[in-house]
Amino acid sequence: MNKYKIIESSFRILRRNKLNTFFMILGIVIGIAALSLTFSLGKSAEKQLTQKVKNLFNPNNILITSGRVELESGRSSESSMTNLKIEDIEMIVNEVHGITMYDVIQTTPERDVIFGNKNISTAINGGMAEGEIVWRRSVASGEYFSKADEKSSARVALIGTKIVKKLFEGSDPVGSQIRIGAVPFTVKGVLEERGIDPHGTDLDMNVIVPITTLMNRLMNVNYIAGAKLEVEDASKTEEIAGKITSVLRERHSLNNNETNDFSIVTPVVVKEIIGKMNRVFTLFLPLISGIALVVGGVVIVVIMLMSVSRRVSEIGLRKALGARSQEIMFQFLVEAAVVSLFGGIIGLTIGLLGAGVFMSSMGLTFYIPWQTILFGILFPIMIGVLAGIIPARKAAKMDPIEALS
Amino acid sequence: MIQLKDISKIYGKDGQQVRALDNANITIEKGEFVAIVGASGSGKSTMMNILGMLDRPTSGEYYLENKEISTLTDDELAKIRNKKIGFVFQKFHLLPKTTAIENVELPLIYSNRKDIRKLAVNALAKVGLSNRGKHRTNELSGGQQQRVAIARALVNEPEVILGDEPTGNLDSKSGLEVVEVFQELNRSGKTIILITHSGEVAEHANRIIRIHDGKITEDYKVEKPLDARTELAELKKVIN
Repeated sequence: MNKYKIIESSFRILRRNKLNTFFMILGIVIGIAALSLTFSLGKSAEKQLTQKVKNLFNPNNILITSGRVELESGRSSESSMTNLKIEDIEMIVNEVHGITMYDVIQTTPERDVIFGNKNISTAINGGMAEGEIVWRRSVASGEYFSKADEKSSARVALIGTKIVKKLFEGSDPVGSQIRIGAVPFTVKGVLEERGIDPHGTDLDMNVIVPITTLMNRLMNVNYIAGAKLEVEDASKTEEIAGKITSVLRERHSLNNNETNDFSIVTPVVVKEIIGKMNRVFTLFLPLISGIALVVGGVVIVVIMLMSVSRRVSEIGLRKALGARSQEIMFQFLVEAAVVSLFGGIIGLTIGLLGAGVFMSSMGLTFYIPWQTILFGILFPIMIGVLAGIIPARKAAKMDPIEALS
Repeated sequence: MIQLKDISKIYGKDGQQVRALDNANITIEKGEFVAIVGASGSGKSTMMNILGMLDRPTSGEYYLENKEISTLTDDELAKIRNKKIGFVFQKFHLLPKTTAIENVELPLIYSNRKDIRKLAVNALAKVGLSNRGKHRTNELSGGQQQRVAIARALVNEPEVILGDEPTGNLDSKSGLEVVEVFQELNRSGKTIILITHSGEVAEHANRIIRIHDGKITEDYKVEKPLDARTELAELKKVIN
């Protein structure tokens, strides 16, 4: 058999049956475009997410939050949200060895932040002076609030760069008077730029005030939302987390049959969460688009089966003239593979362009994962050949007499 | 060259059997020009399929160059068809949207021949269509299309040319031109087998085999076969 000539004639047939070829290619294009779009979006998102989580959460960090947080849904049961106190954390730090530093957290719902005649609405965070180190976020200008500010519930605030941009339009905010709701504050510093965190919160919209100020002057509560602890030896975080659990259970007088009214997040848990999110990005989304690709394959099967039925006499003729079954099959598989390869390349281009445009419109960096390109080319050929097998076998089995009569 | 021994072909199941061929015996020598004649339903199409190795007999033996071929696999038969037999069909069976030269190349694609294009060009020249190679088949007249089909039958230099009603879809002049090509090929040494219902076409052969109800009823030499070339010359005179 002259493979080159058969391939050449496959190309000719595809070229001369433009409508058929177009729809077969379209089927694959849609599938591959969807696949490469979601896969490369997923990969990009995953990469940035992992990076940001790493910034936020180190191997020696432990996070305590009030209420029982369901990791799957991120929700906490409302009833136990008021049980965690600053004193709890102080006691833990005293009783459990190996904790070097900590910060406590509480957050208001959205409040108006007002400067002059401009205002912006954002949640206000409370923290300790140690937050600068614990969260690895200092100030770009001005200074962080001090332990003294914390003790005296001083009305000082640190604000994010986006707030500066919106309220001060470029002028230096440090030392200016703003109001949060009705309470006047002095801007003590501008927080370093951080972008958007994994939850989608814009960290440059943050306003941070001393935790005592927040609890006494803005919220009038005696409980906190959580705390972030740093331990000395990263290999002992799990052990320390266990000790914290028993101290807190005892302090909250929980019976053996009661569940925790707090949650403890350790690096192991964070890894699990990241793993789960990654599965969504790189498994679930591509799986859905994979279905689109299978549909593309089905389109090829259907169109090629139609084409085989229409080309009965051509097939019969080829067999009469000496084509063996395998040569007929080869021809149809080549047609399917060529169509799929073209579809794959076009789909890949569209998908990657789409992902690039999407990511840049979101202000995010776009990576082209090499797997996408490899899959985008190999996968459709595979699908095409698989899809081509049924019609090709049908063609190959055809009886030349019936085909010719 | 070809020897059929007690060939029968039976279609259908018990009770409703049709004997398309009934103990047919034919021997065809190399270089003969044989016409197989019969009305429709006589079994001549079945004969054509069996001679062309497109179909297998229900019983009997088929020797090609003293080799029994009815036991071979489909793919082996395909290879033999490719090498030994050139087919010319009533409906031409050219590939649509394809040029004449590409059609002629077709059998060569399934052979191990080199210089495919050159061989195809030569074959087209033999049927007088050198200047039509690049034309698509639908741009050619019926007679030209059938000559492309003959070029395709010739291109792999088979021993036997098998024509199945090759003039059936042509006007009488184009039909004569096709017969002329067959006679020409026969003079150059090819074995020609022509299946036809037309007694007149059959008169151009050196031997006529008549089939009726699946049985061979007559098998005789033609003393003075008609010469298509002379007939065409006379036809030209009449028109002028």
